[in-house]
Amino acid sequence: MTETDGQLAEMLESYPETVKKNRKKHLVIKNEAAESCPQIEANTRTIPGIISQRGCAYAGCKGVVVGPIKDMLTITHGPVGCGYYSWGTRRNKARADKTTPKDQVYSQLCFTTDMQEPDIVFGGEKKLAKMIDEVVALYHPRAINICATCPVGLIGDDIGAVAKAAMERHNIQVLAYNCEGYKGVSQSAGHHIANNTIMEKIVGTGTERKPGKHVINLLGEYNIGGDGWELERVLTEIGYTVNCVLTGDSSYLNIKTLHLADLNLVQCHRSINYIAEMMETRYGTPWLKVNFIGIEAMNQSLRQLAQCFGDPELEAKTEVVIQRETARVTAALDQYRKVCAGKTAFAFVGGSRSHHYQYLLRDLGMEVMVAGYEFAHRDDYEGRQVIPMIKTDADSKNIPELHLSPDPEKYREAHEHLSITKEQYEELKKEVPLSYYEGMYPNMKGGEVMIDDCNHHEIEELVARYKPDLIFSGVRDKYVAHKLGVASKQLHSYDYSGPYAGYNGALNFARDVTNALMTPAWNLIIPPWEKNGNEGSENHA
Amino acid sequence: MSHNTAKQVNENQCQQCMPLGGVIAFKGIENAMVLVHGSQGCSTYMRLVNVEHYNEPVDIASSSLNEKQTIYGGEANLKKAIDNVLRVYQPGVLGVVTTCLAETMGEDLDRIVADYRKERGETGIDIIPVPTPSYSGSQTEGFWAATRAIIARYARATEKHDRINVIVPHISPADIREIRRLLDLMGCAYTLIPDYSLTLDRPAGGKYQKIPLGGTRTEDIARMPGAPLTIQFGETCPDELSPGRWLEQQFNVPLVNLPLPTGVEATDRFLLALQEFTGRPLPEALALERGWLLDGMADAHKYNAEGRAAIYGEPELVYAVVRLCAENGIAPAVIASGTRTSRLAACLEPVIANLDERPELLEETDFATIEAASLRAAVNLAIGHSGGKFFTERHGIPVVRMGFPIHDRIGGQRILIVGYAGSLSFLDRLTNSLLEAKYATYRERIRHQMGITGGI
Repeated sequence: MTETDGQLAEMLESYPETVKKNRKKHLVIKNEAAESCPQIEANTRTIPGIISQRGCAYAGCKGVVVGPIKDMLTITHGPVGCGYYSWGTRRNKARADKTTPKDQVYSQLCFTTDMQEPDIVFGGEKKLAKMIDEVVALYHPRAINICATCPVGLIGDDIGAVAKAAMERHNIQVLAYNCEGYKGVSQSAGHHIANNTIMEKIVGTGTERKPGKHVINLLGEYNIGGDGWELERVLTEIGYTVNCVLTGDSSYLNIKTLHLADLNLVQCHRSINYIAEMMETRYGTPWLKVNFIGIEAMNQSLRQLAQCFGDPELEAKTEVVIQRETARVTAALDQYRKVCAGKTAFAFVGGSRSHHYQYLLRDLGMEVMVAGYEFAHRDDYEGRQVIPMIKTDADSKNIPELHLSPDPEKYREAHEHLSITKEQYEELKKEVPLSYYEGMYPNMKGGEVMIDDCNHHEIEELVARYKPDLIFSGVRDKYVAHKLGVASKQLHSYDYSGPYAGYNGALNFARDVTNALMTPAWNLIIPPWEKNGNEGSENHA
Repeated sequence: MSHNTAKQVNENQCQQCMPLGGVIAFKGIENAMVLVHGSQGCSTYMRLVNVEHYNEPVDIASSSLNEKQTIYGGEANLKKAIDNVLRVYQPGVLGVVTTCLAETMGEDLDRIVADYRKERGETGIDIIPVPTPSYSGSQTEGFWAATRAIIARYARATEKHDRINVIVPHISPADIREIRRLLDLMGCAYTLIPDYSLTLDRPAGGKYQKIPLGGTRTEDIARMPGAPLTIQFGETCPDELSPGRWLEQQFNVPLVNLPLPTGVEATDRFLLALQEFTGRPLPEALALERGWLLDGMADAHKYNAEGRAAIYGEPELVYAVVRLCAENGIAPAVIASGTRTSRLAACLEPVIANLDERPELLEETDFATIEAASLRAAVNLAIGHSGGKFFTERHGIPVVRMGFPIHDRIGGQRILIVGYAGSLSFLDRLTNSLLEAKYATYRERIRHQMGITGGI
C-alpha cells in the first residue's frame, strides 16, 4: 500500500492547528526513492492533553533498568502508587544461582517509603534513612537502589546524602537515582539516569573475570518471559560465556565486572546505548547491535558476533547451531505461516522492538505497515549517524551527561578486547557494523509509515485507514484494538507468554500470533438479524 | 492496631494512589473525560492498572508536566491540555484530578480553571477540579472525594421528588448492575452515582466511540438534593469524605448508610429499607433468590466452618466480605486494608464481637505484614485483589479474587458479590476454593495420620 502526505494529513484534521503542525513532524512515510531517512521529530515534549502512551523518568529508571537487577533491593522514595504500579508489571524473570541464592533475589518485592503529608511538609529524609536501616536488618542486601518520585525533587530531599550516610553505616553500596517523573520528556530520561549511575558507581568495581575464551555481555535485554534465558542457551552452546544480561536476571556482582568482558551486545538500543558507548570510551570495549528476534535476524546476529573474534572454531560451531536450530523450528513455523501469511500489522513498542519484530513477522509472511516508538530518539529511527546533528533541548540538557575518559589502567584497544590484530579489526569493521545502529528506517518498505509517540486518537485513525489484522502494542491500546474488531498482542509483557526471542521464542510467538488471528469472536460481531446493512453498534444489548 | 507500627518500610503495597480513585469516579459520569494534572507517568500508570483490571480502553489525559513547569508552574500546560481534550473528545464533563507533583508544586486548580473559563468564554463543558495527592490518601479516599466533588458541583436546591439517591463505593460494574436490578425489581426510581457499569464494561459491537455510552446523567445529579432519601453503601466512609453526609448536611436529604448488600443480612437490610420506602412487599423473584442463598449457605456450612480467611483490600469491600464470612462460619482471621482513613475498625466491632476468636485487624498495612499475620493465624483462604498473589503463591494459600485491581486473571469487571444471587455465586467460589484445597491434600493427610500406605 502506498500512502501520501495528504492522506495521513486527514488523520490530523481533528487537532487544533498547533498540535497538527507538531504531530506532522513525528510522521515519516518511507520513500524508497529517497536516499536517506527524512528527519523525524522524536524525544521532544509530549503535547498536554493528547493521550500519549509514554511513561515517566521513574518508569524508565526503576521500572525498566534498575528494577530487574535481582540482588539489589530497590526502594521507591515517594507516596504510594508509583511503587505499586511498577511492581512486577514487566515480567522480568530472575532465578537464583550459585552466586545469588534465593533469599537474595528481591525482584518480586516492592518497597516504598509511602510518604504521607507530614513527610512532604517536613521532608522525607529521616524516613528514608530509617527504612534503609530496616531493609538492611531484614534482608542484608548486597546493594540498594533508591529511586525518587516527583515530590522528592520538589521538597528537596537530598537522597544522595541519605544514600552516602547509609553506605557508611552499612558498608554496602546505596545508590540514589534522581529520576523524578517530571524529568525529561519520557521514560527515556530515566534510562539515561540509570545508565549513568550504573556506569559511574558499579561497573569496574569487580575484579574476577568469568572463565571462558569469549566473554560477552548482553546489554538491553530484560529477560521478559525468559527471552534472555533462551538467548543464553544458544550463546552458551556456541561457546560464549555470558557474563551479564543487563538488566534481565542480572546481578549486582555481574554488573561490577561488565568491563572484564570482551564485547558488549546491544539488544534494546534506546535504553542501554549509553552504557555501551561509555564503556567503549572508558574501557575500549567494542559493542555490536544485535537483533535476536526472528530466525533470519537471529542467524545474522550470531554470524556477525562470531566474526568479531576471528576464531574459526567459533564460526564453525555457530554454523552448526544455526543449521540445527533453524531446521528444527522451520517445519513448525511453516504451519503457522499458513495462517499468518499476507496479514498486516502495526507495531508500537519498545526502544528497538518495533524494529526487531518486523523481522520475525516477515519470517511468518506478515508485514508491518505502521511502526513507531513511544520514547525513542531520532537515531532509533534514522540511525546513529544523525546523533551529532540532534539539537539538544532543555529537557535533555537537564539529564546529566557523564564525560568519561579512558581508564588509565583498565583501558584496552578494541582489538585487544577481541584478541585479534589491529589489521584484523580494521577489516572486521568493514564487514560488521560495530558501534553502530542503523535505526528502523532502512528496514521499512516504501509506503510504510513511521510514527513517533503515536497517541490514542492516531491509533484509532490509523486502524480505520489501514485495517491491520493485528496490533502489537502495550496493554493500554490492546482493548481499543479489540473494540475495533482487530486482534492485538501485548508486546511489553507478552500477555503472560514468552519467551519470544531466539529460536524457541519464534515458535512461541508464531503460536500466539496465530491464536490471536484465529479468534472466532471477530466473525460473530454482527448478529444474524443484522446481516444486511447495519454494521452493529457499540451497545448491542 | 498493626503490631509493628514503628515500621517505616511499606513492603508490597496493598493500596494504590488517590487520583486513581478519582479517575474511576469520573468514569461513572455520562459523557465525561478525565485529566490528570501532573507528570504523564501518572496517567500512564493509572491507565495500565485500570486497563488490566477492566479489560477496556480507559482514556486518561495528562497535562504532561516537565521540569520547567516545576519551576514556573503548570498553568499553561493544564490549559493546553484542557483545550486538546475538549477538541478531540468533546466531553460534557471534564474531571481534573491532581497528583503528588501538582499539589507539592502548590498548583491552585480552582483559580486556573476559573481563569480558563474567563479566557475561553462559554465552552459548554463543566470542569471539575479535585485535589487528590497520593500522600493524603489511597484510591479509596480519591474515589469518595471525587464523587462528593461531582455531586457538590451539580447539586442545587430543587423541588422534592421521589427518585432516591444511591451512592456506591468502588465496586465492580457487575455489582453496580446487580444493585440496579434490585432497585428496578423493587420498583424504585433512583439516581445511582457513580455509574460506571457500562462505561468500564462496554459491550463489543464492532464500533468504537471515544467516550463510551452510560454513566450518571448530570441533570439527575443536579436533582439529588430533592430526593426523599440517600442510600449510601459507605459505612466505612469517613464523614468528611462522605457524599451522602454532604447531601444530608447541605440539603437535609435523609442518609441511610448501609453495608454493601453482600450476604443475607446485609441484603435484607437494603431491601427492607426499600420496602419501607416504597411500601411494596418483596417481589417473588427476590424471595426465591433469598431462599436459594439460604439453602446454599446451609449446605455449605460444614465446609465453610473449616475456613480461616485473610481478607484484604479497600475498606468497604473488606467490611462486606467479613460480614459474609462471619455469616457463613468462615473465620475472618486476618482483616487488612492499605487505606488509612476509614471507619473500618468501628464498623467491624459489632460483627467481630461475637466471634469465637478475635481477628487480627491491620489498617494502613502492607502485604509483608498481612503475610506474617496470615501465617501466624494459619489461614487457608485469602480473599482480595491480585496484589496478594505473591504471598499466597509462596505459601500455597488459595486466593479468591475480588476487589481492585485484578490483573492476573480475566474479568475483574464481572466479579459479583452483591445481592442474594451474587452473594451465593461468590460464596460458592469461597466454598469451592476450600474444597479444592481439601481434595488436594485431605486424603494424604489422613492416610499419613492413620499410617496407611498404598491404599487407593
